[in-house]
Amino acid sequence: MAVAKAEDGLNRSAARKSFGMGEIVKRYGIYLFLVLAILVTTAISPAFVSGSNITNMLMQLAPLAVVVIGQTFVILVRGLDLSVASVMATAAVIATSFSGQDGAALTVLFASIAMGAATGLANGLLVTKRNVSPFLATLATMIVLQGFRFAATQGAPSGNVPPIFRLLGSGKFYGVPYNLMVMLVMAAIFAVLLHKAAFGRRVFITGGNPVTARLVGISADRVIIACYMICGGLAALAGLLLSGFVGVVDNFVGRGFELDSIVAAVMGGVALSGGRGTIPGALAGAAILVVLSNAVVMIGMPVQLQIIVKGVVIIVAASLYVRTAR
Amino acid sequence: MNLTHSKLGFGINRSRAGIIVVVALLAILFIIGIAVSDRFGTSRNLLNIYEQSTGLALVSLGQTLAVLTGGIDLSVGSVISLVSMLTSGLISGDQSMVIPVVIGVLALGLAIGAINGGVIIVMGVHPLIVTLGTGAIIQGIALLYGLGPIGKVPKGFDYFAYGRLPGGISFGATFTMLLFLLSAFLLARTKAGRYIYATGDDPHAATLMGLPTTRIIMLVYMLTGFCSALTGVYLVSRFGVGQPYTGANYTLASITPVVVGGTMLAGGRGGVIGTLLGVYLVSLLNNLLNFLGVSTHLQLVAQGLVIIAAVSVYVEKRRIA
Repeated sequence: MAVAKAEDGLNRSAARKSFGMGEIVKRYGIYLFLVLAILVTTAISPAFVSGSNITNMLMQLAPLAVVVIGQTFVILVRGLDLSVASVMATAAVIATSFSGQDGAALTVLFASIAMGAATGLANGLLVTKRNVSPFLATLATMIVLQGFRFAATQGAPSGNVPPIFRLLGSGKFYGVPYNLMVMLVMAAIFAVLLHKAAFGRRVFITGGNPVTARLVGISADRVIIACYMICGGLAALAGLLLSGFVGVVDNFVGRGFELDSIVAAVMGGVALSGGRGTIPGALAGAAILVVLSNAVVMIGMPVQLQIIVKGVVIIVAASLYVRTAR
Repeated sequence: MNLTHSKLGFGINRSRAGIIVVVALLAILFIIGIAVSDRFGTSRNLLNIYEQSTGLALVSLGQTLAVLTGGIDLSVGSVISLVSMLTSGLISGDQSMVIPVVIGVLALGLAIGAINGGVIIVMGVHPLIVTLGTGAIIQGIALLYGLGPIGKVPKGFDYFAYGRLPGGISFGATFTMLLFLLSAFLLARTKAGRYIYATGDDPHAATLMGLPTTRIIMLVYMLTGFCSALTGVYLVSRFGVGQPYTGANYTLASITPVVVGGTMLAGGRGGVIGTLLGVYLVSLLNNLLNFLGVSTHLQLVAQGLVIIAAVSVYVEKRRIA
């Protein structure tokens, strides 16, 4: 009798949980907010949904989204990667370090991704083997990479990005930006890896509870290192896309992406405490950042408000997730 | 018994460890410096290193307190920038405005800290995210106030940065050192000081013990805001004008001396004296690299390696984001 009652209570609380406001906000809040932001901005400024503005926003979204995918993996295993912007800039500098012709494109691609993955390996080793906090480990590699980059370029990078990266970064195919296609392919691959493959389940278990992970025979250290390497590799790819988008390479390509990518992931429901979050959610978080930045300009507010709006949204979004998680 | 500690063998996990490590590093760098150049060990150069440590020391003092409670303040750079803009913008060369404006901006620092602390407590969001958000908002406000250098300060305002005590000793650096000694005393000898450590060591246990953890967190972020504001005033004294990005580099730079000085990011361990020595270490290292003729670019690499070396020696009691 008591058991039946308890079960009944459990069922009811489960039912309430799946249909309650909290659960809806937690699961779909980010998408609802994205739609709302688009509708409100359109109402104020119809030019917001013009074809050229949408293309413009999508092209801005692509490099950020690629970084966010990697950042999501790292945050899921209770980490944080501050080195992504430095990896992006270093990849951009690598892109200009060869002949600048399409013949060098593959070399550039492999060299950049190898550099990103190596940075991720260093981050992962510091975090797992020396128990350094992710914040510090990635801060240190960020500074070291920056120093090497400055030393290699003597402060002023020169040379050309191979034309194929210019095309991938800023070209369009029947109106669809190439960089968006690259981003979608990456999102599909890594969403499957995270949400459908065994590796993804290891990531969630490791992030949810490292002790459990060890008990069920998962090498948490290896999973964590792999996540940092994925993040580094994707950041390098994003750096190449961004250098092709901007066209000019300087030592700070990607500045601000480290914080923006963390913010986008957190807004998209990826918990900093690890083990919770999805790739689609994180991508929606990135889309919101781009939409809000664009909306500020379209509505005719001073550009400085972009950063203020961003700050407010971070805090509000993060506090909403804390509320619903309780 | 700390398992990780014994497994790794050479990990150092004692409260005084930070100070020992930094003093050893300082000694090594000092010996290298004397071996490399005759001018390195001169009192003139050493006083110069001492003077140049002031800005980083001021901001790192506040950061240490936030880190001791297991938190972090990523809004310090923006607060420094906003305060520097307001200080020179509002004084605008008028001698009679100096005192009210300085009091005003220091109060603003306390108020911003109170907002940080309040949001952290009420919303229950990680300090990293909260201060990232407030930092963005404050940077935006600074840019709304002006997009470039603004205002000016009267003659004599530069005393904080360039003033000398008898013997050519920097006033600002000495003032800052006394502030560190006072903080160290208060941390060790007052209830609030002990509560800061207890809150950082285990916030849950501290709350269960009936310690006023929310008030402690509030206090700590207010003090961090105050130190950032003081750094903003110092930078105006040094450069003669406020600028919208003048504090930007201090946000992450303020973390280095804290962790190099042995304060654990997880909270509850470390102290301000370690941080002060960490600041001197950074200042000495930069000076030494200049003597060695190392390009400023590679100086960055050296700084990153020092962070890695230092934090690899300490064993964090647990990982944090």
